[in-house]
Amino acid sequence: MTFASMGKILNVDLSTGEIRPEAIPDGICRKYLTGTGLAAWLLHERIPAGADPLGPDNILGFVAGLLTATPSYFTGRWSAVGKSPLTGAWGDANCGGSLAPAIKRNGFDGIFFRGASGAPVYLYVKNGRAELRDASRLWGKDTVEAEGMLLAEHGAGARAAVIGPAGERLSLISGISNDRGRMAARSGLGAVMGSKRLKAVVLDGKLRVPVHDAAAMKRLSRSCNRWVQFQPPFLSGRAMAYLGALMRILPTQMALDGMLYKIFLRKWGTTSMNQMSVEMGDAPVMNWKGSSADWGMSRSASFNPDNIKAVETAKYHCYACPLGCGGICIPKPGGGETHKPEYETVLALGGQCMNADLDSIFHMNEMLNRAGMDSISAGGTVSFAMECWERGILTKADTDGLELTWGNSAAMAALLEKMIRREGIGDILADGVRKAAERIGRGSGQYAMHAGGQELPMHDGRNDPGFAVHYSVEPTPGRHTLGAQMYYEMFRLWKRVRRLPKPAPFYFKGSKYRADEEKAVAAAACSRYMALANGAGLCLFGLFLGASRIPVFEWLNAATGWNRTPEDYLAAGERIQTLKQAFNVKHGIDPRANRVCDRAAGIPAQKEGANARRAVAIAKMMSDYWRQFGWDPETGVPPVEDRRSGR
Amino acid sequence: MAHLITDSCNGCGACLRMCPTGAIRGVRKSLHVIDPPLCIDCGACGRVCPVEAVRDESGSLCPKMKYAEWLEPVFDPGICTPCRICVDTCPVNCLDIGEPLAGAEPRAYPFLRDPKRCIGCSLCSKDCPVDAISMRPRGSRAERAA
Repeated sequence: MTFASMGKILNVDLSTGEIRPEAIPDGICRKYLTGTGLAAWLLHERIPAGADPLGPDNILGFVAGLLTATPSYFTGRWSAVGKSPLTGAWGDANCGGSLAPAIKRNGFDGIFFRGASGAPVYLYVKNGRAELRDASRLWGKDTVEAEGMLLAEHGAGARAAVIGPAGERLSLISGISNDRGRMAARSGLGAVMGSKRLKAVVLDGKLRVPVHDAAAMKRLSRSCNRWVQFQPPFLSGRAMAYLGALMRILPTQMALDGMLYKIFLRKWGTTSMNQMSVEMGDAPVMNWKGSSADWGMSRSASFNPDNIKAVETAKYHCYACPLGCGGICIPKPGGGETHKPEYETVLALGGQCMNADLDSIFHMNEMLNRAGMDSISAGGTVSFAMECWERGILTKADTDGLELTWGNSAAMAALLEKMIRREGIGDILADGVRKAAERIGRGSGQYAMHAGGQELPMHDGRNDPGFAVHYSVEPTPGRHTLGAQMYYEMFRLWKRVRRLPKPAPFYFKGSKYRADEEKAVAAAACSRYMALANGAGLCLFGLFLGASRIPVFEWLNAATGWNRTPEDYLAAGERIQTLKQAFNVKHGIDPRANRVCDRAAGIPAQKEGANARRAVAIAKMMSDYWRQFGWDPETGVPPVEDRRSGR
Repeated sequence: MAHLITDSCNGCGACLRMCPTGAIRGVRKSLHVIDPPLCIDCGACGRVCPVEAVRDESGSLCPKMKYAEWLEPVFDPGICTPCRICVDTCPVNCLDIGEPLAGAEPRAYPFLRDPKRCIGCSLCSKDCPVDAISMRPRGSRAERAA
């Protein structure tokens, strides 16, 4: 008997309407787990080389992890997978909320769509019985409206993943939404769903997930929960900003313990970092050309996390999460509820665009959630347009009269509306910065902040070169959820895997930029661990507790009945990572071309701010990273035998 | 594992109406059958069977229970994290998240929204990682109120 995995996937051919369950071949789960690992194996096998990401040959998957719907914590992440239309490479995006267990409670580890429907449809699955239904009345509705209609029809037990108007109009920066605006946003997979005319996936399942030793899992969960509940009263939001400023000024820093970040998350959510990140040089300012010198504490004051907490009416917990970093806010008295904007959204539409208007952030966040558009990419695209305006590349004649001056929040909201509707300048920008720069030309490409076509998140590689490395080397380029030097510190993997290096408790900041072997070992460990985590359905924020406090490996053993070591599991992570890289090579991606854009690597270095005179030896760091996996250090291509078998 | 209906089934259909996953098939006055992959071992079929024709996952005959003897969940918010696993796991969707508590940390906790729909399966209690849910006979609710 297999434990933790449901042993089956559901294949849906939208061209023919055929729905076919399929057993997962023996050994796949042991090798790649489920979640994105299973998906990497399946998509690598089944998407033909050179397939059009928006064509019928692409496969769009909804997968849940191996630990999802077992008595474990932080295991409520589902992932959307497919060939990304934004990067042309492997695409995945993960999301919380309550959708993940519904995939497994229908008896499947994943649901995979190929083909394309003529008319809008949605998939309805109840306890494993699936059917395609007409979605024409839902087409054109925003994500919140469409989800509300579907749940009203299908009852309290149903969960829905939907696309909004952005996905329907094939915006390459569109995502897939569930739970009223939680978003699997990155990689542009909303457009893949739109291209298949699949408006929604509605899951209503109550089947049980078999686990090998539920009592042991619960014991492990209880010990993990003790760390989560440890919550001493802490700093005020204002003190957080000063702490960030102090970190900027000091020549040294300390290895970060994720318990500290856990305390911030539980109190404020990701917005805890709003001002602190700007002050310490982690958050990019003014399309990555500015710094805290341009957007100091007084200008970012409106984003103080206490201001956001003041309008938070309820904490939001995703499924299986004891931490609850999310929140439901009512920003205007008597107004509607909205999800608390995440740090990424606040900074992408805030400091990156020099916008200090918090009301506008709430408004644009809700607008993007409803449209089903990635707020990180949307913010990056707006800041790109603003720099083009500043440099005279875009003028009023191009922008339909909008004045895209830095911080003009009204113009930003109007521009986003146009992007969602693909009107005028909005049509040029709706596919992200790389496409926009191609369309605009006139030397605008150098102001497009991306890696491999994916707009960059709000963590500056010039402050933590680990971010620049992971933006550049991951099979999904431009992602902040896979590794960084500070993530390595928080993961504390050396506590479980003795051969991994333990960082010094205090170090000079300059040492972060030294491209040595230890950095590459740490970066590769992050990638392996996160590939494993995304196969298990784990949340990054749980992993920040540290490997000695969140029992990832023990949960996996107790759930499956396996008796594997942490090293064995990291080897599975490496297999998944290699398979995704092999997918990219098969589809003609040159890994070298995913290198983060020059400005974001400090080429040329900034003149002021926390990251002044900092440059990342990005080419060497990429090469060192590839060597850790046994891939060609010059090209990043895995050996042929590994590409076939995925090792 | 799964529940099993024995030959003593009289085909009354009570179990079929009660099964939350639609795992039971059968026509009136004939032997009913449980589809094992769909069975979640909630035991509702056994509790309502008038002729005690259902065996549980360990092979024991399920005794018919009076409604007042059925169990229902009681939550301990002092222990609850609240992770929502119970709300998701409930096969009849009778649990929900309540209004957030007042205070600096407005967390919302699960509660039994629809006691009449509860089938007393204990799966919420079984899945709760921190054992914040205990099961008590529902008859005792009136006693507690008194």
